[in-house]
Amino acid sequence: MSRFSDGRIRRVRARDAVFVMFFAGLILVLLQGASIRKSGNELKPGVERDAVLAVGRPAADIADGLPFAEASRKATAFLEPEPNLGGPGGFQQAAGAAGQLGAVTPDAFDPAAIGAKPPPRRKLKTLLVTGDSMVEPLDADLAQSLAPKGVHVISDAHVGTGISSTLLVNWGKLSAYQVKHDHPEAVVVFIGANDGFPMPGAGGKEVECCSAEWAAIYANRVRQIAATYRQNGVAKVYWITLPTPREPARQTIARVVNAAIPVAVAPWAAQVRVIDSVPIFTPGAVYRDSMKIGGTPTIVRKSDGIHLNEAGSSLLARNVLSSIGKDFTY
Amino acid sequence: MLFPTVQFAIFFPIVLALSWALMSRPRVWKPFIIFASFVFYAAASWRFCLLLGGITLGNQAAAVLVGRAEDDRRRRLITAGAVVLDLAVLGVFKYYSFFISQEADLLHQLGLGVPLPLVTIALPVGVSFYTFQAISYVVDVKRRLVAPASLLDAAVYLSFFPHLVAGPIVRAREFLPQLASPRDPDNVAVGPGVALIALGLIKKVVIADYLARTVVDPVFAVPQAYGGLDCLLAAYSYTAQIYCDFSGYTDIAIGLALLMGFVFPQNFRSPYRATGFRDFWRRWHMTLSRFLRDFLYIPLGGNRGGPLMVYRNLMITMLLAGLWHGAAWTFVLWGAFHGTGLCLEHAYGGRFRLPAWVRWFVTLNLVVFGWILFRSQSLSLFWTFLTRFAHPGVPSLWSATVIVAIVLVIGLQLLPAEPLMAVQLRIERLRPVVLAIGLALVIVLVSATVPSQGVPPFIYFRF
Repeated sequence: MSRFSDGRIRRVRARDAVFVMFFAGLILVLLQGASIRKSGNELKPGVERDAVLAVGRPAADIADGLPFAEASRKATAFLEPEPNLGGPGGFQQAAGAAGQLGAVTPDAFDPAAIGAKPPPRRKLKTLLVTGDSMVEPLDADLAQSLAPKGVHVISDAHVGTGISSTLLVNWGKLSAYQVKHDHPEAVVVFIGANDGFPMPGAGGKEVECCSAEWAAIYANRVRQIAATYRQNGVAKVYWITLPTPREPARQTIARVVNAAIPVAVAPWAAQVRVIDSVPIFTPGAVYRDSMKIGGTPTIVRKSDGIHLNEAGSSLLARNVLSSIGKDFTY
Repeated sequence: MLFPTVQFAIFFPIVLALSWALMSRPRVWKPFIIFASFVFYAAASWRFCLLLGGITLGNQAAAVLVGRAEDDRRRRLITAGAVVLDLAVLGVFKYYSFFISQEADLLHQLGLGVPLPLVTIALPVGVSFYTFQAISYVVDVKRRLVAPASLLDAAVYLSFFPHLVAGPIVRAREFLPQLASPRDPDNVAVGPGVALIALGLIKKVVIADYLARTVVDPVFAVPQAYGGLDCLLAAYSYTAQIYCDFSGYTDIAIGLALLMGFVFPQNFRSPYRATGFRDFWRRWHMTLSRFLRDFLYIPLGGNRGGPLMVYRNLMITMLLAGLWHGAAWTFVLWGAFHGTGLCLEHAYGGRFRLPAWVRWFVTLNLVVFGWILFRSQSLSLFWTFLTRFAHPGVPSLWSATVIVAIVLVIGLQLLPAEPLMAVQLRIERLRPVVLAIGLALVIVLVSATVPSQGVPPFIYFRF
């Protein structure tokens, strides 16, 4: 404590402290007003979001009218750890395809389901494990199992993101970037815990969760992402559904998300496998914290009632590896 | 509410302005700051506010009763009751799931049933810190080091948002006197406050999160996927990360408090300059160290009672220090490791006269080893991590940026203090408008380094 009693320290008035904070805030409005609005839009509906947007919207209007924000972004672009993967554009194609009658192709049939001979298993070299925070620590479990066997496991979790919100990360853009950058032969996807945001429907009108119309829009986005990951049938995709969460509001969203996934990937049952976590962790879509694993009662969920803990993730990893093992050797 | 978020950047200037506007009227200022602190805390969950309120009321009642009691035995009993309740709260929220899981495993192996329900309990952010502050308050009242405060003062002390969720652990006798009279609005350390906030943001967002993202998290998640050289890099990266993350948070907390007119105790003093375990614990998380010393080690007997008693006291203190960090065996063993180091130092420290640089080198690397245990997600992963050193492999994560970051974090702590202090004072003496521009530019630069995943929470928020 004595350091701040040092006589060499310049003491100023309290109003200077307030001035510093507000003047710094003003500079930030001029340089990053749009980012403030974006941060607000990413928050869940509530008082916090309203408060941030009350500042963010006028800040963005001011910043958009001045050249400083763009100059600031260009000046600091060299510091950015990754390209801009947020914003619109990634899902336009999916919206345009709605209503067209596509032909059924052989890819729609899993050979095992129709008694056909499956293609020979090939050596797995690169596995991409991606999604939102649900994918942690599943990614570590899969890597621990596969990395010693020479599989390059790429973990790319984007915490806090969702398919229904493109503000933070546009999964249509991200999936394309991941495929171009990583060339995975197999992709494990575990996402949906942050979904439920309104999405633009036909005519651009926002559709609220969780009607059939919302489910269709969501399924179209999942379809586009799955199409990207399957890379014209070269790669396999393993899409995991959400285990039932504890809160009723989240259960409603999870139910729709889980219903949309198999519908979305139906055209490619030969390459896109749905790993249904609901019967594993929450049979009958009834939430539970714990279950018996190997006869031992075990807590499998984190205290937030959403995520799987280490034990739960380990169990899920075994299921995922079992699926991967049907298509690949490692 | 995290410090490096837009929400807090909006919240704080408003609270700061209102705080100074109301400062001359304590009867209005105190309820206001309590309200603001609860709003800050409610951003995590409004339910946590009930716990904080309960802790405040319960400990204040105990402090008042202790203050009124004349009989020493009665004072001890009330204090013990308060401490037991505080620790029970901490135990339930922090350790219930851990102990029940361990008990369930053990009973299952013995073929017995599971008597208690396996449920998860949400860990209220900051509970480890404000329960310790509450304990220190009641005990200091019992020891007559501080008089029982008014309910408003106690509530301000326990809920004050700059230190609420991750310390520093401020003692009642450090904070309550500052509430005795309004802070002087003509005597505010604005320069140090702003400089600490900017420094804290750089440490946390630019250095700590970068090291975590690029090296630490990938390697500690799957050590068997990396060679020994990458594991070595990860160990030193985590050493730098945890220091920058925690001291960065503390810098921001102290800086915010300074802007509001309050002084918090120092929490870090170049810990990687330490030349022994004792020296390390006088430099690392200093407010926790002194809490453990004053409320655990000394009451157990401290250095009295012969060497075996001292070793016992050191080991108990450090085992509990490890357990305080989290409900996992890795934390307990980390505490045991440091306890063993302290015991060996106590036993043999005076016998070997080694040059200071040798003692520093050995201490630093032992601390790094301890951090490997601290960071490992399980004992098996810790063992796997260690075995990787036998397979150097091709380094895939080494880069100039990572090396520079590690060298900078450790190296700056080895430099003489006065020149660094002189530079710091120069910055702190800048005019307010220059400080404001500097702070804004730091925030812009720091924000540019944040990936799409956002800013991870501070490490010590999990404790």
